[in-house]
Amino acid sequence: MTVIEVEKLRKNYQSKVAVDGISLRVERGQILGIAGANGAGKTTLVECMSGLRSRDGGELRVLGMDPWTQRRQLQQRIGVQLQESALPDALKVGEAFRLYAALYDGGDWRTVMADWDLADKQRVRFASLSGGWKQRLFVALALVGDPEIVFLDELTTGLDPVARRTTWTMLKALRERGLTVVLVTHFMDEAEALCDQVLVIADGRVVAGGSPAELVARTATESLESAYLVLSGEELS
Amino acid sequence: MKGLLQVVVVELRLIVRDPSSAFFALAFPAVLLWVKMRSSDSLPGGVRDIDANVPMLTVFVIGLAALVVLPSTIAQYRERGILKRLRATPAAPGLLLGAQWIAHLVLAAAGTAVLVAIGVLAFDLAAPANVATVLLAWLLGATSLGGVGLLIGALVPNNRSATLLGLGLFFPMVFVSGAMIPRELTSGALRTIGDWTPMAPVVETIRAAWSGQPLSATTLIVMAAMSVTTTALAARVFRA
Repeated sequence: MTVIEVEKLRKNYQSKVAVDGISLRVERGQILGIAGANGAGKTTLVECMSGLRSRDGGELRVLGMDPWTQRRQLQQRIGVQLQESALPDALKVGEAFRLYAALYDGGDWRTVMADWDLADKQRVRFASLSGGWKQRLFVALALVGDPEIVFLDELTTGLDPVARRTTWTMLKALRERGLTVVLVTHFMDEAEALCDQVLVIADGRVVAGGSPAELVARTATESLESAYLVLSGEELS
Repeated sequence: MKGLLQVVVVELRLIVRDPSSAFFALAFPAVLLWVKMRSSDSLPGGVRDIDANVPMLTVFVIGLAALVVLPSTIAQYRERGILKRLRATPAAPGLLLGAQWIAHLVLAAAGTAVLVAIGVLAFDLAAPANVATVLLAWLLGATSLGGVGLLIGALVPNNRSATLLGLGLFFPMVFVSGAMIPRELTSGALRTIGDWTPMAPVVETIRAAWSGQPLSATTLIVMAAMSVTTTALAARVFRA
């Protein structure tokens, strides 16, 4: 079942074209990776899909809904972790969970909090958390409403290697339960380990797409990292 | 609205945890009252100074919470991406605005309670002539100035401009509107300018209600109209 359909999506900021005719499809239970250099349009694409930005052209359906005109309905069924976000400094972890849970119908915040090892930090203020724990909290808050699709913008940035691996394991477990994931990432090892398909974006366009194995085969390289460098035109010459 | 109570409770906790907003809204007006009472006398017209000062300073408290603390909180949330993150949830766009407004109203009410308690305990403050009209006047004052605060918070891009604009409105206004200097002691241009500030009707109404003078219907209507228009406008221009 297709849960995300994007057809020739366009988004401009004043005269700059951020997304220039991107098309993609995601099936339920898939993990889609979006890779590309800074400024390639990854975040804009995710923001359009999650109802945070309107589009200037093309078609867009997420869970059968228009993310912009039906955003409130859609946002009840998706979770979002933004690249740059914050909570009030004095807010405690447990309060953040309770607060976000109050905004959704359903969902079980206590389980999510325990799953992401945040139960011990319930009384810790946001400002006192290390970068890694903040990141973990943001990912967990994206899951509080028991979403069908979760958008994760730079999932493991700021996490130490152990925490990254833990996060990957948890994401795989969520996929087993039918969760669909859209993952913006700079880390090709992450995309290789998690993603069913990877989209490489440059200047608002898709330059390559396919499973990690396909991308590696197509470029006759040995890893997704090398394949990415070839495909995105970022290869050092 | 879904989640409103939860957000209000959280916002109140955050206000209490921030020592500066608690100090400005609760302790600062109390200190001002004490300073004013050390060197004052009955006012022209025979009103006892304490019976003028407490109603006046309640407007000071409302103004501080509504014009300074409220917009700065909203602007900080915008600046730090807290509002944007909330926009990615099914929460109604006005939820946070509404919750902030209620939480700061409660802050102003607490500041008012402190002033009244000090007035009664230390300076033999006279009881209000009619508690119901004082409450009505206070509430209309809070909603009208709160609307202005919401509008500032909805418009400014960052905390710096919120604070500049909030303080820039608050300080001149408390001096000319009669919230600091009794209206009996001002005259001429100063008083005329003061009468045109959104704080003047609040001062006038709360003082009149406290001393048992009849309230002006026009002034009440002006405050109600200001509450509705500023709040509606704020809700309209508010962007995360």
